[in-house]
Amino acid sequence: MMRWDAVSTKEQGDIMTVKPMVAILVAASTLAAAVAAAVEPVGGTATAPAAAVPSFRSDVMPVFFRAGCNAGTCHGSARGKDGYMLSLFGYDAAGDYRRTVEEMPGRRVNTALPGESLLLLKATGAVAHSGGKRFEKDSDLYKALAAWIEAGAPDDVGSVPDVVEISVSQPSLVFDKAGEAESLRVTATYADGSSRDVTALALFGSNNPSVAEIDGDGRVSANGPGDTTVFARFSRFTVGAEVIVLPSVEGFAWTNPPENNFIDRLVFARLEKLRIIPSELCDDETFLRRVTLDLAARPPTVEEYQAFMADSSADKRARKIDALLANEEFTDYMTALWGELCRVASIDYTGRGDTHKPANAFTAWLRDQIAADRPFDEVVGDLATAVGSTNVDGQTGLYTMLIKDYKLNPKVFAADFSQIFLGVRMQCAECHNHPFDRWTMDDYYGLVSFFTCVKRKPGSDGRDRRVIYDPAAPPAKHMVDGRPVPAKLLGAVEPVAGEGDPRRALAAWIRDPGNDLFNRNVVNRLWAHLLGVGIVDPVDDFRATNPPANGPLLDALAARFVEDGRRLRPIVREICNSRVYQLSVEPTPSNAADQRQFSHARVRRLRADVLLDSIVAVTGVPRSLPRSPTGTKAINYINRTPNSASGDFVLDTFGQSARNSVCACDTRTDPSLSQVMHLLVGDTAGPRVHTAAKGGVLQKILDEHSTPEGVVEAIFIRVLARRPTAMEMDAMLQLVAENQAPAVYEDIVAGLIASNEFLFNH
Amino acid sequence: MTRPEFSSIRSGGRSYAAGCEGFRSLPRRTILQAGSLAGLGLSLADFLTVRSARGEASVVGGNLSQRDLPRRIKSVIQINLPGGFPHHESFDPKPEAPVEYRGSFGVVKTNTGDVFSDNLPKLAGIADKFTVVRTVVGKIPDHNLATYHLYTGYTPTAVIDYPQMGSIVSHELGAAGELPCYIAIPGKNNSSGGTGFLPSIHGPFETGGDPGTQKKNFKVRDFSLPKGMSLEQLQRRRGVRDVVEKRIRSLEANPVLLDTMDEFHARAYSLLTSADAQKAFSFEGEGDDVFELYGSEVTGDIKGPDGKLHPKGLSERLIIARRLVEAGVRFVTVEYGSWDCHGDVKKACLDQMRPFDYAVAGLVTDLERRGLLDSTLVWVTSEFGRTPKVNKESGRDHWARNYSMMLAGGGFKQGLIYGASDSTGGEPSRDAVTLENLMATIYYQMGIDSNKELVAFGTRPIEIVKDAEVVKPLLG
Repeated sequence: MMRWDAVSTKEQGDIMTVKPMVAILVAASTLAAAVAAAVEPVGGTATAPAAAVPSFRSDVMPVFFRAGCNAGTCHGSARGKDGYMLSLFGYDAAGDYRRTVEEMPGRRVNTALPGESLLLLKATGAVAHSGGKRFEKDSDLYKALAAWIEAGAPDDVGSVPDVVEISVSQPSLVFDKAGEAESLRVTATYADGSSRDVTALALFGSNNPSVAEIDGDGRVSANGPGDTTVFARFSRFTVGAEVIVLPSVEGFAWTNPPENNFIDRLVFARLEKLRIIPSELCDDETFLRRVTLDLAARPPTVEEYQAFMADSSADKRARKIDALLANEEFTDYMTALWGELCRVASIDYTGRGDTHKPANAFTAWLRDQIAADRPFDEVVGDLATAVGSTNVDGQTGLYTMLIKDYKLNPKVFAADFSQIFLGVRMQCAECHNHPFDRWTMDDYYGLVSFFTCVKRKPGSDGRDRRVIYDPAAPPAKHMVDGRPVPAKLLGAVEPVAGEGDPRRALAAWIRDPGNDLFNRNVVNRLWAHLLGVGIVDPVDDFRATNPPANGPLLDALAARFVEDGRRLRPIVREICNSRVYQLSVEPTPSNAADQRQFSHARVRRLRADVLLDSIVAVTGVPRSLPRSPTGTKAINYINRTPNSASGDFVLDTFGQSARNSVCACDTRTDPSLSQVMHLLVGDTAGPRVHTAAKGGVLQKILDEHSTPEGVVEAIFIRVLARRPTAMEMDAMLQLVAENQAPAVYEDIVAGLIASNEFLFNH
Repeated sequence: MTRPEFSSIRSGGRSYAAGCEGFRSLPRRTILQAGSLAGLGLSLADFLTVRSARGEASVVGGNLSQRDLPRRIKSVIQINLPGGFPHHESFDPKPEAPVEYRGSFGVVKTNTGDVFSDNLPKLAGIADKFTVVRTVVGKIPDHNLATYHLYTGYTPTAVIDYPQMGSIVSHELGAAGELPCYIAIPGKNNSSGGTGFLPSIHGPFETGGDPGTQKKNFKVRDFSLPKGMSLEQLQRRRGVRDVVEKRIRSLEANPVLLDTMDEFHARAYSLLTSADAQKAFSFEGEGDDVFELYGSEVTGDIKGPDGKLHPKGLSERLIIARRLVEAGVRFVTVEYGSWDCHGDVKKACLDQMRPFDYAVAGLVTDLERRGLLDSTLVWVTSEFGRTPKVNKESGRDHWARNYSMMLAGGGFKQGLIYGASDSTGGEPSRDAVTLENLMATIYYQMGIDSNKELVAFGTRPIEIVKDAEVVKPLLG
């Protein structure tokens, strides 16, 4: 599978043999008319217009880009390649000029004997080149370089108009079947208003070549049914075009499934366009278990099950959702999810002791905000501008929890803040402009400068820290030229105005209802929690090259979020009430392969903490967690053990986030052998089931039901929140008949807990 | 740190869905085969083969194809000394240096005519059996970052998570017997990373239990039937599970994921019921002489809080490691001690060096007696060394620019001291060996080309070790 978005970072590079980044098709044989025009002086006289002098920035650097010279795997690597370094994708033009022309006079560029310039000899493979031959001697890329060297390899005089935008000729392509093809043209617009066809200088890539590929000429070919995005990159811009390849129309008839709300309308519109029939609505048992696990972090109780199944009113699902949202378990769960991202843990970053008090204060603060369903922009605004004591002012915890280090590193903090609350990963832009998004190094350092003024000082006791604003702190310095970059909002040109703590401007920006970065991030995270995958996925990686699977849906959710005052509960309610959320996992013939358009529910493994709480819930036997009061639920657990991952062996085994980073990926739900062995013979399930049989809930079931059928049914309801099928009942009754009670019932409970139905939300 | 998902499958599926999702885009038939083989009761090794076929990364290139590399050794036992092992007080003493550099200890002559710190008399007595590299060059004097570097060969980035060496070995070679390919005693180092962009199937199997503290009562966590549970009961529970699986199966929702789970269940039953697997994780049949050889009762000179001297448990961990290697495990990691001696390096050494000296010398001797030293590498590591100058707390601080590692067996030269540090042990004065090159050399001995590129998340070729070269003079 090919993606190019992940090919990035300063770490990349220095790979011995040059591989064109797989999806970026470098076609050195094509020619841009524009290059030709630039390299052949118009008029051809000694008084040729200045425009005809080849420009390093406009003519030479695009060749580096197109031929892959400044890619991360080659000279664009942080330390260059074989002694020659270019800035990655050309973020530092002046430096590139110096290194190309002045670092080794007469070698890389030889103006006396242009043909002897290493730049040309290496690129054409005339002398040994680790990167191999990049283009032919008669290619236009070669001619462009040669013309510039023949002209004396001049640096640009005055300012060369910057590219301000690029566009593709069609934002969306729909193919009726595989095998069809169509060409895209790429146009760059410059600061002086001029534009230029840069198709031959751009790089292209596809997010999913099994759906559609794009070659070095911008020709898109349909490979198989589905939807994806193809991209063109030029200068520091990336622009995408949606590609849909339709499956066969044969046998397709849209079923017009009922729509509960705008979510259904937008998802189904997309599905109809893609000729995918969504699954049926899930049954009541499945819905009840799913929504209870998602909102209360545990399976439904027997009482809840009986009440829900006995209810025959039409709006019982909606009322169930309301009830769960009103329950404090929802508050606990949301607090846990956001606390996890904010890396709450009771381990002192100075390594001297615990931070129970600050961790508790931060958690309590977060919980209060969520319990009150306070507008989430205000919550984040308060976090951003926090000052005070970490023991007392819970929100200041962000500044000690995110950065568990002696020094509050503003760069790391800024990148973490952006990833959690905006869903944008800015780290790449520390050392070079983001290769696959619009963010520049100026954006990065501008963001960092919001936090350079935050300091931590010793507080009232050994655990307390005072988070203060330091008016004397200088802003961050740009890595390339060392100039200070004052606090500046992402994408803004000018720094924020006003005196004092710049974080107030950041908070105001977060609170601006028009801040779509923030709005989309929050709704997308909630969506991913409920549907198992984000509309943008990974949820914390919004970028031009990772577009939403359903853009209108994300926009509509964000808009509704704003209408509802940016509170969490209304948007969760909206999603849970949609038919899309309530679809069955059982696929239809046309949607079995779909993994991103929400045409069916996903089978999701329970999070480690939810799984542990669920085993406790169905067995009725509590479990202690290290250094926590007995009865503490796993979702409320704060790790208080230094040098441990999550603080608990079972949580570790099942992939609980160690809170080592702000990445959503720190929570893992992939299965492992240890997990299965633990469920089978470990001390979480087995002994609890045994206790349940000896005077616990299982004993109670045995007392209350006189027939084996009654007992088996009660066990199924308790563990799996459903009644057994006839076949299952027969098999269980046979087992019961052949073995001794109550041991055999223990085996049934334990067998059910080890089942995939228990382990997964479905 | 992000954990971009990894995919090995080059056709179909959405590109950012991998790991489990990647499994999903495999042809259903492949999975069904795995599932049905499981039903036929094939051995664990067969399962692993199927699984590693599925977890394989696509190979982009590399200067050598893997066929070109013979597999010289079978197994590696990595003994890691977390915190930063003081090289002055161990393999690289500086007896000529002023006392503030040479520290509190004297030297002992090795049987090859060189000197070690007098903390290591046992190892000095068998120095003709192994190589010491005195000029390992790391990158970062920070525990977490350097530990990650040590285990993965890469310094951590925000964007890519790299796999541990053991995971790479699992990915490249697969398991050789019934047991998992990569085992960590008692668990993996928290800073060492994970399977990175490789599928989670390549992660270490952690014993959980510690042979060092449990001694002869050692049990791997969740590795055998608990007291009071019979095999029949386990089978009944399995039967119940099989019955209820049919319903979710009938929905045909994500069959690949469910198949994966079934495979884990089959493997788990197989391990729980395999006498050989159980035996490898025990001390069954080990005589007192073996424990004595490894210095099981040897203590340091520093009394514990109870006023008594205690053995440290490394011997037992290493005996288990040796038994695992005998059972075919390819990569075993064992951790020992706590070496971050910013204050009073002397005390830390008096406490921990002697048990270390005995146990490692015992392991090398034992492996040789059993004829396993040629096929097994014992690799003594630490994330970095310590500063040349003793600080005012009588300790030494972090030092990544020059430190020592020991390599015994595995085709490394015997009796070699490679490289020399400067007069204070601060910088290499000749024959510097980067950590990357040393790792490449170990991979080479295992038959893995470290220049080979694995493809992370679809398009990104990543060398097993970046730009590393085999250090040929180290090899016999």
